[in-house]
Amino acid sequence: MNRRQLLQSFSGVAATTILTPELAQAAAQLSQGAASGINWQIAFADLDADLARAPMKRIHGRAPEGLAGSLYRNGPGKFHRPGGSVDHWFDGDGLMRAFRVSDGAATLEARFIDTPKRRVETAANAVVQPGFGTAGKPGAQVRNADDTNAGNISVMSMGGELWALWEAGSPIAMDPKDLSTKGIKTLREDLVHMPYLAHPRRDPGGDVWSLGLSGSQAIVWRVSAEGALKGADMVKLPMASYVHDFTATKRHLILILQPWVQDRMVMPYSDSFTWRPEMGTKVLVLDKADLTKRRIYELPAFFAFHYGSAWEETDGTLRFDGCLTGDSRFATANGKAFMKGTYVPEPASILTLVTLRPDGRVTLEPTGVTAEFPRVDGRRSGDTRRYTIHATATAPNTPLFHGVATYDWKSGKSDTYDFGATHLMEEAVFVARPGGSDELDGWLMAPSVNIKAKATELHVFDARRVAAGPICTWRSEHLLPVSLHGVFVKA
Amino acid sequence: MKTLPLVLSLIVGLAALVPASRAAETSSLTVTFSGIKATTGAILFTVVNSEAAYGDKAPASAQGMLPVSTNSASKVLSGLAPGRYAIKAFHDVNGDGKMNANPFGIPSEPFAFSNNAVGNMGPAKWDDASFDVKAGDNTHAITID
Repeated sequence: MNRRQLLQSFSGVAATTILTPELAQAAAQLSQGAASGINWQIAFADLDADLARAPMKRIHGRAPEGLAGSLYRNGPGKFHRPGGSVDHWFDGDGLMRAFRVSDGAATLEARFIDTPKRRVETAANAVVQPGFGTAGKPGAQVRNADDTNAGNISVMSMGGELWALWEAGSPIAMDPKDLSTKGIKTLREDLVHMPYLAHPRRDPGGDVWSLGLSGSQAIVWRVSAEGALKGADMVKLPMASYVHDFTATKRHLILILQPWVQDRMVMPYSDSFTWRPEMGTKVLVLDKADLTKRRIYELPAFFAFHYGSAWEETDGTLRFDGCLTGDSRFATANGKAFMKGTYVPEPASILTLVTLRPDGRVTLEPTGVTAEFPRVDGRRSGDTRRYTIHATATAPNTPLFHGVATYDWKSGKSDTYDFGATHLMEEAVFVARPGGSDELDGWLMAPSVNIKAKATELHVFDARRVAAGPICTWRSEHLLPVSLHGVFVKA
Repeated sequence: MKTLPLVLSLIVGLAALVPASRAAETSSLTVTFSGIKATTGAILFTVVNSEAAYGDKAPASAQGMLPVSTNSASKVLSGLAPGRYAIKAFHDVNGDGKMNANPFGIPSEPFAFSNNAVGNMGPAKWDDASFDVKAGDNTHAITID
């Protein structure tokens, strides 16, 4: 249906009474959607209720020998309520998904994280709690950050539990067997309701490092592989940046402080930040063994949500990659536009190598490759490595990505598979092949939203032969909104 | 989040119950705190009878310190004039006499208001927390922890 047909369908009604801004916008979107044939908005639609475990149908290939376990993934899953909705993608209720693979078959289940935010808003039948991009409404009940904790960014396996991770509040403990919520994780009584970022970094020894930010103060969390607190130290940051992710070598924590800086405390939270490119980007390197030992490097201004793991060379040079853009606009513009069913084309993030040299010189080397949701072979985390796994391939009028790739830092080559614009491709995680040890000897597992089929699919790739396409695909009868980050836990 | 300075108003003058002194008062109010999880320390609470007193611009009507040993604690306040009242309370779990906070200034000990009212990044509003105390015996229940 084109715009004229839509307007004609309201025959008998004066044009001026039907051309409300909302209707005009909807008509424009309809014609744009009709032109591209891509109804991507379905990937941001609410899941109305928990999804009980149900088999997925294998529609292509076969599961590889040795692939058994659960892929847990988190992301916002509900955005709209009759009395009022979120204004930003990042404020939807956390929805934990589990894709379980066993004996060549896969099942899918999804369960909302039981948070105070979800309880207050269910009772009010409206979104009232303030959030990243959503203002608080009458009836908001907020005593601390965990009252607004959407729990919706990532998930980690810790000591037999799952921890659903947000970034401005506590991890939320869940049962991996049935995705039920146990409650917030308080690592020490005097540290209740402290923030914990969604992208912790594991040491080779097993310790898990994360941060919690408040203005130019940060808490550095060190937690054992079983979830016990080993350290909680405060550090002062040279800039009050918005920090979503950080990176680490075996010996260092590396905090990238971009010039989207907090200069007040208001809700929505993102209104507290101003883009100040004249400040440049500062990289703070901390010694894990003594957090008072620090070094600051000065870089040109850029914005990034995500980084890959870092490594240190024998002469002390530090390197890491990131998915860099020129400014913070996604956080405020498209993050909100998605909730209105619109997308404003913007330059894609580019996979870039950052090098910090012992003499203080820094270089940024963009690869030219479109990239987001970077991942690595976890066995190389904090070590020198050759590959980055990432989502790739954007289309002009639809958001996010429709392909997956590995980038080879040694050769500069990409190994890419592109589903085409009818799929929204999610983050791919690496699963090592049992018995293998070479980097990328294993598989990539990534869901996609198949827009034409209106269904969620799960794909398995040979991590060293991505261009050959998925070696196995399962399709669900159900459609889940796109998820953000996850982890594979072997059976 | 700036709840700490506002909630610190609960710490004022932690003495035993301050009795009313005039003969016209004919109300009693039994306040019960329930849902207590940490069975240590004490519940420190303030009773006010005006929006001005709620905002610490006028004196409180009564204050109390209730030792905690089980999951509920109760106090009878007598000699109050009938009127509109509100209660602000926090559970001093570690018994140090103050509301503790996490390193970013957020209260780390439980706090509550009458009507179980909850504020938005600050104390509950007087309009949401206030309730009527009539002549005779009254009861009010607050969930804390």
